[in-house]
This record gives sequence, structure tokens and C-alpha cells, in this order.
Amino acid sequence: MSFQEKNIVASLSTFTLILFVYLFRVFQMIQTESFNAPNLFRLWGIVAILAVAGTILLSILTHIAGGIVHKIRTNEDPHIEDIQDERDKLIDLKGTRVAYTFSSLGVAASMLTFVFGQSPLVMFSALIFFGVLAQIVADIWRLNLYRKGF
Amino acid sequence: MEKGKISNNIRKLRFFRDEMTQQQLAEKVGVTRQTIIAMEQDKYSPSLELAFRIAHVFGVPLEEVFSYQPEDTST
Repeated sequence: MSFQEKNIVASLSTFTLILFVYLFRVFQMIQTESFNAPNLFRLWGIVAILAVAGTILLSILTHIAGGIVHKIRTNEDPHIEDIQDERDKLIDLKGTRVAYTFSSLGVAASMLTFVFGQSPLVMFSALIFFGVLAQIVADIWRLNLYRKGF
Repeated sequence: MEKGKISNNIRKLRFFRDEMTQQQLAEKVGVTRQTIIAMEQDKYSPSLELAFRIAHVFGVPLEEVFSYQPEDTST
């Protein structure tokens, strides 16, 4: 598994975990009838912090681990600029396009909740759900491109 | 527009260059080893610039490294 693939797996793991935590908390709030704005926005904050901090932390750890492995295997100092080449950039762009498409569909689907007479809270919780899901789908798409080629 | 298949002789050319390793070729052309592996397995078609760089490393014309086969649409 290449350095980039490891990075994607790390991101995929982070966002899958975030999605499960988010869904678990939302269903918990619905069951305990505490599904209200303060609780939901607090959850939004937790998800945002987890996403940013988790991604940064995992990215740093992957870079350090990758650098150590590179040093052990080749006895040379790792060059960060050599790690991402044209194929990696192209796969990254294709993944980003998938994420944007999926997010746009998610926003449209979230707006549909208004059509069915749901409260704005439902729409906001659906927005976050689709946002995180878009990132997961994009990561899976990137991994697929690395494995199957294009 | 018909879609064709781009294949290459990178593996053969490496063999005839004293079994040049994928890592050595990758360093010479400025990409990762994974990209060389993907190209040899026909899983990635490189940019024109990278294709020229690879041909330059082997000292052969571009068409000796890469070949294009249009997809047969008659069947």
C-alpha cells in the first residue's frame, strides 16, 4: 500500500468513525426527546473539531510514520515534494469532484425535508450527515482509482 | 468519440537498461514508484510531459515506449 493510499485509509477511518458517533448521538437524542437546537449545534461543534483535529493528527502521524519507513528502507531523508506526483494529484481531483457532486445532492436532499414538513433541525442534521458521507464516498472513490486504475 | 488503449514497453526497456529498477526510473522522471507500477500494468496513462521524460531517459523516440490502439468498433 502506497503512502497516499495509507493517507486515504486514515481519512476514511476518521470520517467513518465520525459518522457513527454522529448517527449514534442523533438517534440517542431522538430517543431521549432531547433533539433540540442547543444539543444539535453542540454535536455540530464536536463533529467539526473531530474532523479537523482528527484529520490533522492522522495526517501528521502518517507523514512521520511514512518518513521513518522511508528512512529505514532507503537510508535517505524523505522528500515531501516527491510524495505526491501527477497521478496522485489527478486522483485527488477526481475524488474532490465526487465529493462536491455528492455534497450538492446531499444539500438538495436535505432541502427536501422541508417539503415533507420537517423542522429546520432535521434539515441541519441531514446536511452534516451528507457532508460527512460525501467525504467517505470520495475517499472510497480515490482508493478504488488507486487499486483499479483509470 | 472512440476510446483507445495506450500500452507501453516500459518493462522491456527497463530490462534492456541493465534491469533498471522501478525506483530508479521513478527518481529519474520525478514520480513515485507506484506510478511506474501503474503504468506498467496499463492502469494509468501518463501525461504527455511524463511520457516524453520516460522516452528521454531510455533514449528512444516516444512511439517506441508508448503505442496507441484504437478500439475496434466494427464488431
